[in-house]
Amino acid sequence: MSDHEKELGREAVPKLEALAHFIQVFESLGVLVLLVALVVVASIIAPGFSTYTNIANTIIMASITAATGLGMTFAIAVGGFDLSVGSVQALTAIVVASLLAVASVPLAIVGALLTGLLLGLFNGVIISKLKIPAFVVTFGMMSIVRGVALLATQGQSVMITNHPDFATLNNGKILAIPVPFIIVLMVLAALYLILHHTPFGRHTCAIGGNRAAAIASGINVDRVTIAVFGLVGVTAAISGVMLSSQLMIVDGTLGTGLELQAIAISVLGGTSLSGGNGNLVGTVLAALLLATIASALNILKVAAFYQYLFVGVLLIFALSIDTVRRIIVEKSTLSRA
Amino acid sequence: MNETSGNRHKGSRFPDVNVLDFITRYFIQSLLIVVAVALSLLNPYFRTATNLQNILLQASFSGIGAAGMTLLIVSGAFDLSVAGLLGLCGVILAKLIPDIGITPAIATSLVIGFALGSLNGLVVTKLRIPAFIATLGMMNIYVALAFIWSGGEVIPVSEVTFQFLGTGTLLGVLPVPFVIMILTYLLCQGILSRTLFGRYLRAIGSNEIAGRTAGLPVDIIRIIAFAIVGSCTALAGTFLTAELSSANAIMASGYELTVIAVVVIGGTSLKGGKGTLFGSFAGALFFAVINNALNIFGVGAYWQYVVTGLFLISALGVQALRSSILTVE
Repeated sequence: MSDHEKELGREAVPKLEALAHFIQVFESLGVLVLLVALVVVASIIAPGFSTYTNIANTIIMASITAATGLGMTFAIAVGGFDLSVGSVQALTAIVVASLLAVASVPLAIVGALLTGLLLGLFNGVIISKLKIPAFVVTFGMMSIVRGVALLATQGQSVMITNHPDFATLNNGKILAIPVPFIIVLMVLAALYLILHHTPFGRHTCAIGGNRAAAIASGINVDRVTIAVFGLVGVTAAISGVMLSSQLMIVDGTLGTGLELQAIAISVLGGTSLSGGNGNLVGTVLAALLLATIASALNILKVAAFYQYLFVGVLLIFALSIDTVRRIIVEKSTLSRA
Repeated sequence: MNETSGNRHKGSRFPDVNVLDFITRYFIQSLLIVVAVALSLLNPYFRTATNLQNILLQASFSGIGAAGMTLLIVSGAFDLSVAGLLGLCGVILAKLIPDIGITPAIATSLVIGFALGSLNGLVVTKLRIPAFIATLGMMNIYVALAFIWSGGEVIPVSEVTFQFLGTGTLLGVLPVPFVIMILTYLLCQGILSRTLFGRYLRAIGSNEIAGRTAGLPVDIIRIIAFAIVGSCTALAGTFLTAELSSANAIMASGYELTVIAVVVIGGTSLKGGKGTLFGSFAGALFFAVINNALNIFGVGAYWQYVVTGLFLISALGVQALRSSILTVE
């Protein structure tokens, strides 16, 4: 949506255009600059932050959120949200842990990913076929899937005992890079290609940017929406598998608040709530930023409550920046007319 | 609200449409009666006075919150922060009672509910962030503040007079919170259908741009609606604290889902513009009956997550089908 509009606004309002440009630069570079600055500050004020172990742990923590965040970026691009990802993460973590008791590692992972896919597709079908807003559908599903996860385990924990090698999915390193981060980079590459170089990706942005126009131009809106939510389900399942390999003991209460973090990193990374575009690289950078902050606060022994507070404030802050950007885009469009 | 859908079928050549309309309009009320009668016949414990009182008590916690939420949804917005807000108000109340006494403490917590509700409204209208995501962020903030304020502990309240608010009955029959719930609904119904403000709520809910063009102070109206939700939530928090004789930060986790489900299953459209408080009232009782039945039949508490979510989605599905049928006609 915005690129074209911004270009047209350029001639009429150079000032607004400059602001818009600044914000665009802020989006792509800002998070990175902020991340680097924060890492430097954290290394100075929090001794122990800059150790290899801690940095690796921070990256692993970021990877688990980033996987879901990448899917969420797609959902926001198509003009929706998925609030059920936290519950899906919990249920898929339980699925993988339970399957590991009877099956091999690859089979268990496939089972979890399929569970995520099915739940996501179900979300998509209800949203598109019954024409109910995405956030209420996924809000209801958040509760249902959470209930199923708790019922499946009867509120107990499931331990992964007979596959100790499953943990290497979390703590393994390739060329000193943690495996979860490599997985996230692979997911990022795949989703980037899908979003920017396939008809499906273009249709996703078209629907999010202007739904009516997308329908008018013959895009199968329902099918694309269902597929996008299926994809979100898969990414939540990837997070679930990562989390279970990190904890090696899972229960039905995992993943609460994941939806908030996933939306926060998407928006912070530069994906606008108005839909029509997704900044996948920004999402991963913002996930690293969030994890760095959490890690620094941990080392400084700041209580968990304050970290919770911080996520909320950060989300509102990121959303305010998004609003400023939307207003600028609106104004430059208006002043062109 | 109801009048509009009623008028639509006046002079219709098909009288059976009116029957359909009546059933869909009073769907939740009819369903409530059927389910309650069935349960009374099936289970002798269900129809005992103690159990029925308990149902009324449970209904009033979500019901009081749902009254304010109905007005807000009519105005075309939502508030997902109520669980955090309720916890925060409860914690503040429990902390203040020993220091300043019951009445001033309740007054303070209601004022804080009103103020934080207005803050939600400001964030939504002035920062122009979509309501559900803004209030989701605010929920995190409120829960965190409640945790910080309570130090993560359960704050007990030992005042017997205060506990009466949660566990006492009026005339020996009606639980105090239920009486307050009835008063809240009467007040909100009055606001919605008898005041200019209520008409404005419906106007901006059904067409915000038209409201703005007509010169309505859309932002202020919506901020007040958020403030009403905040006040109702603090009120519900007062009675929940009294019933539990304690408060903690996560005492109401999942409250936002229950409250919105109550409003939606009561028949209020999520699109805004029209709503029924009578429906929300019945919706609150309905959920209390269902949860009570789940308890009586020994089905674990986890089923409540599944059931609440299922009811929310199916109620929306029914609404969607109904509106598509009406559009075809």
